Amino acid sequence: MAMALAMTTDCASSRWSMASLKSALPPLASTASSIRYPCHRRRSSSKCPQLVRSFTGLSPVNPLHSLGSSVTQTLADLNSFEHNFTIIDNGFKVYAMRHGRRVPKLNRPPDQRRALLRCLTTQLLKYGRIKTTRARASAMRKYVDKMITLAKDGSLHKRRQALGFIYEKQIVHALFAEVQDRYGERNGGYTRIIRTLPRRGDNAPMAYIELV
Amino acid sequence: MSRSVEPLIVGGVIGDVLDMFTPATEFTVHYGTKQVTNGCDIKPSAAADKPHLQILGPPLSSSLYTLVMVDPDAPNPSEPRLRELLHWIVVDIPHGHDATKGRELVAYMGPRPTIGIHRYILALFKQEGAMGGGSQLPDGRANFSTRQFAAQNRLGLPVAAVYFNSQKEPAMKKR
Repeated sequence: MAMALAMTTDCASSRWSMASLKSALPPLASTASSIRYPCHRRRSSSKCPQLVRSFTGLSPVNPLHSLGSSVTQTLADLNSFEHNFTIIDNGFKVYAMRHGRRVPKLNRPPDQRRALLRCLTTQLLKYGRIKTTRARASAMRKYVDKMITLAKDGSLHKRRQALGFIYEKQIVHALFAEVQDRYGERNGGYTRIIRTLPRRGDNAPMAYIELV
Repeated sequence: MSRSVEPLIVGGVIGDVLDMFTPATEFTVHYGTKQVTNGCDIKPSAAADKPHLQILGPPLSSSLYTLVMVDPDAPNPSEPRLRELLHWIVVDIPHGHDATKGRELVAYMGPRPTIGIHRYILALFKQEGAMGGGSQLPDGRANFSTRQFAAQNRLGLPVAAVYFNSQKEPAMKKR
């Protein structure tokens, strides 16, 4: 609770505390922030880079995120050799085939895997956009879509099922209250994954996953 | 006064609408028989009429209070474009009395949460003196600023606040 106090009282920008009693989903459209889309080979120095409209959680996007990736992009622009190489790739993992691989194991035993996916979906629904490794991002799509589908149904049974999966109950209540308005017309595909630069410590391929 | 402001901080009231304050007065708000506690759920139908408000304490001091009721999550808590939506302003409430003893600057409007779960904040300010005719009426209820209103009328920090949640009641019983 002390941490919650510290987090919410010290700066007005980070309004989420550890125990979120506020019932609100992260906002949908962002006006100020955007991520520079990593353009690979097609872009010439004369065209301006495409900007992807992205999403902020209630905490505004750390300007260093977009700054970092845009800085490396612009630095790469200046050097015409650089931008011919793919900067964002799949981390040197060559996938020949995927025969019979049904479940992404995420290098964890089943209980930890379930807990990790529950955590990740809770955080995504709380913040709107999170940055994780690519394997985790693509593994959690299914669960985020499941939660949003439960919320679209809206009955008590579905609400209780969602409460059994998502760690914070205020997020569930906010989801059930707002999803009809947001995703009423959209059939499936409620997330978007954007690949980014690998992590410095272990060169793990990273990605942003955000609610569409 | 041992009432803590922690529920207000965690609920985001302090930060979104009010500044950090130390509660100096206690007051109770009742919608019918139901008492409003921080973060409790109240249906919009139950809150359609004015609440019964009581500033606790002996009616000795001659201080007057101003009550402001706002909704910071309008129209949608994820996109609060009309933050804050003004619901009610009552000035010149004498200490230890009900809100009906005061002068209503802005008429009461019940909660109307269109999308999502909205917070409705009732903030009590202590007035320096009687609010004369110099208090400007805000034109239009949307995009109200409680801080600005308090600064304009020299109200300073609030002395007490409470908030409750409300969401739209489903039209039909969900099966």
